[in-house]
Amino acid sequence: MNDDRIEKILTGIGGEEVPADIQKIAQETANEFSKSLNQPPKIHLLELIMRSRTIKLAAAAVILIAVLLGLPFLPNGAASVGLADVLAKVEQARAFMYKMNMKVTGSVMGNMPAMDMDMTSTVIISNDFGMKMEMNMTDSNSGEITTQQMYVVPEDKVVVMVMPEQKRFTRVEFSDDMVARMKKQNNDPREMIRQMLGVKYSELGKSEIDGVEVDGFETTDPAILGGTTGDIKVTLWVDSVTWLPVLIEMDMAMNEQMRMKGTIYDYEWDVPVDKVEFEPVIPEDCEAVEIGGVKLPEMTEEAAIEGFKLVAELTGRYPKKVNMMDLMQELETIMAEQMKKDRAEKMTETERMTKMMETMQPIQSISMFYMTLVQDQNEPAYYGETVGPDDAEAVLLRWKISEGQYRVIFGDLSALDVTAEKLEELEN
Amino acid sequence: MRFSKQAEIFEQVRTRYTGFLASVLWKLTGDRELFTEAMQYALFSMWRHVEKLKDETATSYIYRIALSANSKAWRNRIGKNGEIPNDLSASGEGAGEKLGREELAKVVRRQISRLPSKQGRAIVMRYLEQQDYQTISETLGCSKAGARSNVARALETLKSKMAVSD
Repeated sequence: MNDDRIEKILTGIGGEEVPADIQKIAQETANEFSKSLNQPPKIHLLELIMRSRTIKLAAAAVILIAVLLGLPFLPNGAASVGLADVLAKVEQARAFMYKMNMKVTGSVMGNMPAMDMDMTSTVIISNDFGMKMEMNMTDSNSGEITTQQMYVVPEDKVVVMVMPEQKRFTRVEFSDDMVARMKKQNNDPREMIRQMLGVKYSELGKSEIDGVEVDGFETTDPAILGGTTGDIKVTLWVDSVTWLPVLIEMDMAMNEQMRMKGTIYDYEWDVPVDKVEFEPVIPEDCEAVEIGGVKLPEMTEEAAIEGFKLVAELTGRYPKKVNMMDLMQELETIMAEQMKKDRAEKMTETERMTKMMETMQPIQSISMFYMTLVQDQNEPAYYGETVGPDDAEAVLLRWKISEGQYRVIFGDLSALDVTAEKLEELEN
Repeated sequence: MRFSKQAEIFEQVRTRYTGFLASVLWKLTGDRELFTEAMQYALFSMWRHVEKLKDETATSYIYRIALSANSKAWRNRIGKNGEIPNDLSASGEGAGEKLGREELAKVVRRQISRLPSKQGRAIVMRYLEQQDYQTISETLGCSKAGARSNVARALETLKSKMAVSD
């Protein structure tokens, strides 16, 4: 096609009158949008979701939370006499702090832009008051630097995130179940040992870091983070004299596209803390991002069943895999299908995005619940690749509840306690 | 910026530009469903960047917003790979004659949504909004020669894109 022809077409388009009903649609759409601004919570949430940079930050924050939830166990990954000493030392510390450098590359889901994010954080954890994390994030793609403070306040059962540059803060509630779990993890070292005994690791022998003689331990067992990652390598170096952790090196594939690599260092043990340090500081010019009705996903059997039900309704099947990152990959397809349906139903952008958030939350409960089963070494097994909603009597998910006893969720999402013998029969 | 202030400025901006935005987006989409979707994206983008729409460079920014919203709406319509159906991309002279004018216009519109930002704005201002080169150069913040160059390059890009399936 030559330039003249293209120019004729372009000129033709330019000469078209804008139909009266189009002007009317434009005015109505603009009016509707303005009206929705009088409902700040929805718009704020939508804004957060739509801003790709914020999506990246949220994704990074979710990953960090997952890692941090797993980290308190890390020094206890030991069955040797040496690491038992480490455990004893760590147990004595009512509060400790550390620094963390992380590099996250790739995309959480295929349809999201790939991130290249460097994060440096200072974290302080108190058994009594919770956790405070100050994080600087540098987006290598844009060079933009963002800061974020995150507070976990077990007493109020909330996570508070403050984003000073965006002049926003958000509070997310978490459940009693999660509070109980965090307390158990922080306060009962025997529980930690029990969890970590199941993780395969090797001893690396002695080395030296900054003039300090250290002993190294390494694991490539994904169970160390509750099976939430793909390939993983975690190396722990402890001071040969004090038996306190000095350095942790981590390299993990979060999914096929996304990788996370970093170090945790500058530990300070048994630091004096004041409750005030853990109380969220929210600048006056920050506005609340209300995400009413949206809480952190539950990690219970009931919530997981609701999640399975929803996936089956949306796709006619169950997720193939249930670890967090694989499930997020599958969510991409689920969400695309959902968005397509919603678009066909002429839902507004706001309605579509709100619906997507509501959809994601129960589905994430599946992963959260599965993660607790892995961490608690309940021998979970999941058969979503072969079992669907029509396989009423087939085992979809099972886990150990006591010696010789298992809990089973079947293909029709009914649940039952069975003996080990009965389970063997069901699984064969 | 506080929410109330942002909302106040947005009201002024949208009153001033809704008609203009509707005109540009309609010419870019030529389809009611696409137009509505692009309009929503554009309004949302105006809300996010409302501070940049207060001064004299606002018109240039509105073009950027319109083109970006248009691209997004087209992407959603056609799919992430951005491929258009073969029957619409067949655009040699012979094929062009077979296609109706509306179908050819649709192909051209789709290809405009894939142009680099500056070329996209230049072609929209020159042909769809029928602006002179002086106005285009002022809006784009370049010389008149630069404006001509962007329009020429856009035409060249469109030509090559539409010749791909010849």
